[in-house]
Amino acid sequence: MSEPLDLSLREQAAAVAAGEVDAAELLQACLERIEERNPALNAVVETFPERSREMLAAAPAGPLRGVPIVIKDEWPLPWRAQRFGAAEMLAPTAPGESAPYRALRDAGAVIAGIGNMHELGAGSTGSISVYGPARNPWDTERCPGGSSSGPAASVAARLVAGAVGADGVGSIRYPASYCGLTGLKPTFGRSAMAGHHMAAVSNTIVSGALCADAADCRLLDSVLFGEELRAGNPEGLRIGVLRGEVSEDVAPAVREACEGAIDDLRRETGGEVREIELPELAVATLATVLIANSESLGGVTPERLNDLDPELSPIGRGLLKYRVLLPAIATIKSQQVRTMARQTLARVFEEVDVIAWPTVPAVAPPLEAPLVELPSGTLTADAANVRGGALANLTGIPAISVPVGSSEGLPIGLQLQAAWGRDELLLDAAEALERGNGRRWVEATPPAARGAETLEA
Amino acid sequence: MEASNHSDDFIPAGLAAYGIEADEIELAVIRAAHQTFWPPILELLELDTSQVPTERAPDLSQPPPSR
Repeated sequence: MSEPLDLSLREQAAAVAAGEVDAAELLQACLERIEERNPALNAVVETFPERSREMLAAAPAGPLRGVPIVIKDEWPLPWRAQRFGAAEMLAPTAPGESAPYRALRDAGAVIAGIGNMHELGAGSTGSISVYGPARNPWDTERCPGGSSSGPAASVAARLVAGAVGADGVGSIRYPASYCGLTGLKPTFGRSAMAGHHMAAVSNTIVSGALCADAADCRLLDSVLFGEELRAGNPEGLRIGVLRGEVSEDVAPAVREACEGAIDDLRRETGGEVREIELPELAVATLATVLIANSESLGGVTPERLNDLDPELSPIGRGLLKYRVLLPAIATIKSQQVRTMARQTLARVFEEVDVIAWPTVPAVAPPLEAPLVELPSGTLTADAANVRGGALANLTGIPAISVPVGSSEGLPIGLQLQAAWGRDELLLDAAEALERGNGRRWVEATPPAARGAETLEA
Repeated sequence: MEASNHSDDFIPAGLAAYGIEADEIELAVIRAAHQTFWPPILELLELDTSQVPTERAPDLSQPPPSR
């Protein structure tokens, strides 16, 4: 048998259940690997071996019994309040039993550590965090993606086989793409969210799994959903593609890999590709950003903004203050744009089963300067990434990022989006895509997980 | 009067109206954000949405109820 930690999530779960792997030894190996590999990655910002061992000792015979998991610094645990990657949050926090924690505990999983994240969840790169940035296991000078930077880097470096992230504006899918993982942003409301400090006010954020492949995501997301996400047959898949910025103003290698992957998916499912139109896409992107930024303003007062923790990054402080200048009329119109986009999508999903475009328009940029070169020019990665990531959060539909190629030794991801409640179809389609490319990209492992080999080798 | 994204007046005046202080670095961040967001916000404001109903308490786990 391979090193147990290098098994897939489902293989780890099966091996523990069959008595082939001792769960205590698996946890110990996980903690030792974190100690060994994490200093170069800063993916895990805290471990608590005694708490993890207590979870294991009390673990019921659930689908993830004895399997180590990393959870993003976005939910409270009974022994730890979340920090949201920041020196200060504008929301009260305290230790507690969040819904993702309960779901993992009741499934028998063991929380092995806390995953780093972009400060306040306000970035797609992971380049800013109170803990210092997490680093991409494919190249530690590159961004891991955000805001679920640590969960993604943890899985890519094989510290754990599965991690729980959160996605408010692409925050599971961007790091999945940058780190060569599969990451599902569930339909709004389907996955465990209670206990998150914005759960009561947010219409955009969901929890979801980051894993090496779709089958592992299916297992971990089934736990987060509280229901089995059954596998189906995506035969005859109708794939919608969109001309324009989101699929054409992308790096040539990304465009080539994603177009090839769409063809693989069509061929593997015996499906067809249809062109679609989403006239509201550009304004929907802005609407998402405005809504997501205004959802968190309830706890803001001028006095609090004048007394921000100096350890909060200057960018974080500036953006918090800028939010109060955003006009209310723009937020109201954004809600109408959401209605328009939802109506358009409802019509589109009568014609196609999934919509496909690159998850992000370029591979992971340098941490030092998170800029990307696109045909239209140089953009900040945040400005470029949000074009493709926002629509699913605005409208509530599910979306998944699947690794489909590489460039400069860095992974490329294809995003698939489906109608409300069709999360299972996205997992089916992702598995079909894996079959279509011989699982080449989901089985690729980064240098941080296997020495100095490169993805291209 | 034509709209603009000129931030020299808007940002300090807006912050002052709320009594919010900002140092030079924060102001630079705010100006950069404003340059990014304001032009599309002005485009959004130009959009006539008078015929678009806002979904009341939308259930984002489902498609819109009527279309």
